[in-house]
Amino acid sequence: MKHMRPLNKKAARIDAYVTSRTDDVVALQDAAKQQRPHVPMGCSIMFTPGWEVDAAGGTAGLCQPVERDIYDCFVSCYWPAQVPDHLNNAADWTAKCASATKDWRNLDLVFP
Amino acid sequence: MAIKRLTLLAAGCAVCACFASAGTLYLPAYPAAVVVFDEQKAQVVDRIPLETGTPMSIRLSTDHKKIYVTTIDHNGFEVIDVATRKVINHFVLNTATKQYRFFAGTPDPQGKLFYTVSKEITKFPEHYDVGKWKYTVVDLEQQKIVKTVDIPKEEEAQNQGDWGSGAIDVSPDGKYLYQWGEKITILQASDFKVLDHIDLARPEAPGMENAHFGSDLDLINEPGEHTAMFVWADPVVHNHVFGLARFDLNTKHIDFNPIGPMPAGMAGIEVTPDRKWAYTVVQNGLHGNKRCEFWAFDLSSDRLTQKAEVPCRTRFTLGISADGKKLYIYGAGFDIEVYDAATLKYEKTWDLTTDVTYAGIVVVP
Repeated sequence: MKHMRPLNKKAARIDAYVTSRTDDVVALQDAAKQQRPHVPMGCSIMFTPGWEVDAAGGTAGLCQPVERDIYDCFVSCYWPAQVPDHLNNAADWTAKCASATKDWRNLDLVFP
Repeated sequence: MAIKRLTLLAAGCAVCACFASAGTLYLPAYPAAVVVFDEQKAQVVDRIPLETGTPMSIRLSTDHKKIYVTTIDHNGFEVIDVATRKVINHFVLNTATKQYRFFAGTPDPQGKLFYTVSKEITKFPEHYDVGKWKYTVVDLEQQKIVKTVDIPKEEEAQNQGDWGSGAIDVSPDGKYLYQWGEKITILQASDFKVLDHIDLARPEAPGMENAHFGSDLDLINEPGEHTAMFVWADPVVHNHVFGLARFDLNTKHIDFNPIGPMPAGMAGIEVTPDRKWAYTVVQNGLHGNKRCEFWAFDLSSDRLTQKAEVPCRTRFTLGISADGKKLYIYGAGFDIEVYDAATLKYEKTWDLTTDVTYAGIVVVP
């Protein structure tokens, strides 16, 4: 229908009304919820707060420091894009590092 | 000199009282252990290694003699003897061609069966077949799944495997199962037949992690009783009200006392051993605007008596000491922040030296 254009004022008002009633279509966005910043895909395969930004587009919603959160994102493959795959390929990733905040340098390197 | 002796005597009594009331915390930790923390010594006193992987849920038996731990690496079960702090039974469900996922669950009163909701993933030469979530019975002695039952359509919503959804309790006689989710579902334990529903829901708590697989109040609940915070909405205005409910698992009778309008988030409740006081953490706002408060309740009248602001961790769990005098904020890290339950003021931070999982905590007096 994009080839049709309103020819008079009344038709223009109808067109504007219909446009205003049309929801923005966003990938993986739940239309029933309030629109949030559209964090580009690529930083995570999940569309929930990630290491870089929280759901509001800032960092206030992230654990401070982020190392506090790293193990819980690793376990159960919760965040497979950022941390190693716990269940399939890197089950022992945390074995040499008891506290990620304190001794994260002991974390194993994992190569995909 | 007499005054000095009296002072020493008083100090000695205080120490004795402290010993008498202090308990032991069992915290599931990375990479595969349960950390034993002595409240009186304020230090880690033992570390129970687990055979089957990273602990994801922990639950104290009703007689306080065993601790049931589930692990995620290979979907395992471990049973710890509280007296000896040793693992007395452990096994995994995964095989070379099958993997399982399960979250909520409970052992039966005899500690022989484990009721849960699981999903089976079968590996074929060129693909994986992911099954539906099913009610599942695991035999802890035979160390295998002995029964699965399809979940009815109307029950699927609260059995999608999200962490903490559909937590299960069993009645003392082992005949009924109670599932706490978007509503309370009463099931027949022998065949998982849905017998009844009660329209009370667990509170929403974004960022708060009070969703371990046991009930919130393993320690203070009498056998056959489930006490927890619930949310109720009237059918016309849909005004959400929170309150304290005491559920009799034998008679299926529920005693719900509404307290007030539901805040944005609430971290369940913790109750003192004398059952006179209860505490929760309430959350309003999100991210940088998030504010958290301790709320204290007088359980004799089910009234809110005290509030105090507490710094919001992004993710945390609320806990309580064995004597009910201290409140704990822990999770997403290696420490426990200790607050005084009477004043709701911060006191100190205990270093666990190890990151703990979000499985919850078991407190043994």
